[in-house]
Amino acid sequence: MSNCRYTAVATWRWVANDDNCGICRMPFDGCCPDCKVPGDDCPLVWGRCSHCFHIHCIVKWLNSQQVHQLCPMCRQEWKFKE
Amino acid sequence: MDASRKANFSAVSNPNNGIKTHSPLANIKPGSAKKIVIKNLREKPKLPDNYQQETWGKLKGAVEAIHQSHAIQSSLEELYQAVQNMCSHQMASELYDELKVVCERYVSSNIQQFLTESIDSEQFLKQMDHCWQSHCRQMIMIRSIFLFLDRTYVLHNSNISSLWDMGLELFRLHIISNTVVQGRTVDGILVLIERERNGEAIDKQLLKSLLRMLSDLQIYEEAFEHRFLEATDQLYAGEGQRLMQASTVPNYLHHIDRRLSEESERLLHYLDQSTRRPLIACVEKQLIEQHLKALLQKGLDLLLDQDRISDITLMHQLFSRIRDGQKELCLSFASYIKKTGRLFMINHEHDHEKDRDMVQQILDFKERVDNVIEVCFQKNEKFVNAMKESFEHFINQRQNKPAELIAKYVDSKLRAGNKEATEEELERLLDKVMVLFRFIHGKDVFEAFYKKDLAKRLLVGKSASVDAEKSMLSKLKQECGGHFTSKLEGMFKDMELSKDIMLAFKQHMTHVEAPGISELTVNILTMGYWPTYTPMEVNLPEAMVKYQAIFKKFYLGKHSGRKLQWQPTLGHCVLKAHFAAGKKELQVSLLQTLCLLMFNDGDEFSFEEIKEFTKIGSHSEIVQRNAEIGELRRTLQSLACGKARVLLKSPKGKDVDDGDRFRCHDDFKHKLFRIKINQIQMKETQEENTNTTERVFQDRQYQVDAAIVRIMKMRKTLTHNTLIAELFNQLKFPVKPADLKKRIESLIDRDYMERDKEQANQYHYVA
Ligand SMILES: [Zn+2]
Ligand SMILES: [Zn+2]
Ligand SMILES: [Zn+2]
Repeated sequence: MSNCRYTAVATWRWVANDDNCGICRMPFDGCCPDCKVPGDDCPLVWGRCSHCFHIHCIVKWLNSQQVHQLCPMCRQEWKFKE
Repeated sequence: MDASRKANFSAVSNPNNGIKTHSPLANIKPGSAKKIVIKNLREKPKLPDNYQQETWGKLKGAVEAIHQSHAIQSSLEELYQAVQNMCSHQMASELYDELKVVCERYVSSNIQQFLTESIDSEQFLKQMDHCWQSHCRQMIMIRSIFLFLDRTYVLHNSNISSLWDMGLELFRLHIISNTVVQGRTVDGILVLIERERNGEAIDKQLLKSLLRMLSDLQIYEEAFEHRFLEATDQLYAGEGQRLMQASTVPNYLHHIDRRLSEESERLLHYLDQSTRRPLIACVEKQLIEQHLKALLQKGLDLLLDQDRISDITLMHQLFSRIRDGQKELCLSFASYIKKTGRLFMINHEHDHEKDRDMVQQILDFKERVDNVIEVCFQKNEKFVNAMKESFEHFINQRQNKPAELIAKYVDSKLRAGNKEATEEELERLLDKVMVLFRFIHGKDVFEAFYKKDLAKRLLVGKSASVDAEKSMLSKLKQECGGHFTSKLEGMFKDMELSKDIMLAFKQHMTHVEAPGISELTVNILTMGYWPTYTPMEVNLPEAMVKYQAIFKKFYLGKHSGRKLQWQPTLGHCVLKAHFAAGKKELQVSLLQTLCLLMFNDGDEFSFEEIKEFTKIGSHSEIVQRNAEIGELRRTLQSLACGKARVLLKSPKGKDVDDGDRFRCHDDFKHKLFRIKINQIQMKETQEENTNTTERVFQDRQYQVDAAIVRIMKMRKTLTHNTLIAELFNQLKFPVKPADLKKRIESLIDRDYMERDKEQANQYHYVA
């Protein structure tokens, strides 16, 4: 007997250092409050400080900061991780 | 008796009312009310002294001849002229009085024949009719002779009756007002009608003529109608009671129908139209209204059960005739639906067969009920609404399960290999299912099961038709909105994305050496869209592990920040197998593959050895022990105890037990080259079912918590009852107050809210 064709199934999720987004408190497996579905439409982004958020949440947060753009978790300057 | 009614009725029209009637006598009726202006300018000649006496003598002779049915001596023209002359010479008043005396003498002499007791009732009626007809005929002739008198003298003196009316008055006074004569006449008529109602043929013409006579004499109502309606009432009161006992409901309904049409015939043939309303009302009251509830109680369920369309139609027609009849029918119809529907729902023994048939049964029932509404109730909106309410009522008598079964029903129709012939038929069926879906409270249960099955259709089983899948999705979206279907849509999107990724991966593989197996296809699922799967760590052959690793590296290289988790329970393979009888291609699940591949390296293995080697059933998370082993048992059972037995089990048997041993079935034969053994993956296991339901309940709990916090945050302080009421308003699934109370307690424990220090039934939001 030999295996010729294999159809596999894999699930993907975000690799985050927390279960929930530090801004909106929603789980990373779900989406931000402004979105309806999780996944590619509501992706996560990581900062250099290694904290991560829903992209929609951190963008909103940064726009609300007048002077310095700080990470809401560690108060270091926010820089998107490459 | 009022004038307008009479006008429609009389056999011979009242000369003063000028209304045409359908009587044959009407054509020669005594003149209309047109005024004729007589030009009388000539000098009046002098009259002989005995002129008046002589002329009247001639006229009297003619009248008496008419009464005796003898030939008239003078010509009509001469007589007519004589009347005109007398009138012209101021003799009209005397002429009128003399004529009346002659007529009165004659009419009153006619009474004698009706006072002889020896004649029987029918003979009596015929004689009466004859007398009346003669009277009318005679009066018409007399009137035509005395036409000038009628048109001048009578017309100018409003207190004097026309000749025709004078005749009627005389007939009324001298003949019909006689108590004995009137009694015999009416009795005779009633007897004839009764005999006809009992099925005998009677002389309808005679009845018609006599009743017209009563009408013309203006005593129809007081002398006849009252007694007639009384007799009718008595007859049908007794008949209704008797037949309700003795007859079946359909027979009884047809009997009412027959009676109603018989009475209508009667109205057509001889009764006055004024009798229509009270007569029909009487039949309706005694035959229908009095027995309405009993008829519904005794007959409706049976009629509906047996789908007796024409009988139900008749019932609806008959009941619609009376006040509240339709309403009562509608109420009984609704309770029938609830009663019958409940029988499909209750399943105390948790009989799977029964549950499996539930949806089809409800659909069939719905079709039957719809047909009744359309054909029998003419799509009456009240019945449509009652039907909807009743369906909603009975379907939700049992919580959650119906939603689950409807989802499964849809799955069975959308799966590949389903026998539903055409796309159109499938589409129609889905529409019908959507109607049931609409009735269901707690659509989240439906969603969970629908999603679980859709996942399997997409990943394992192939769906019967992409169009049908999309159509079902858009129906759900239309019904429940985008939030309901967004995740389901996400699943389809994942499948599309996976195809794109696989194209790129194949391209990538042209530069990489493929390990062992010829092809790997991966479906990559976004966690949030799909059902939650419990990962299982199994022992894969090295080639597969390597291939997976190549893909993982490729995928993560393109999508950073992600984690991939393989789901072995959802994978499947195509295996090439060499049996003594020839080559076969087996379509098997990944778990089946793992078991089968073991036999490349050995002839016989025990259940325990297979378990040890494949690791099937060793979930990475803690799962019930029974469930774990169940997975491997099911897998081996499908290979060794199913239809296509590629493994042999000893001892034989349809269950897999500890200690059983397995061998490859070298002599395996099958008429097909490609053999599908992985249907096992499509089957729902008990654990899957329990998990799906539990997850819905858990999700409901989160929703309840979120709703409580949301409401409290907005309202700050609320009493327990107000909070509960608001929750019932907001939550879209059925909940019990006790469960809500538990959630409130839990939120108090977690400091989201607190109880008022003094009033225990009041809560405050804690910021
Ligand atoms: Zn967020
Ligand atoms: Zn978002
Ligand atoms: Zn940070």
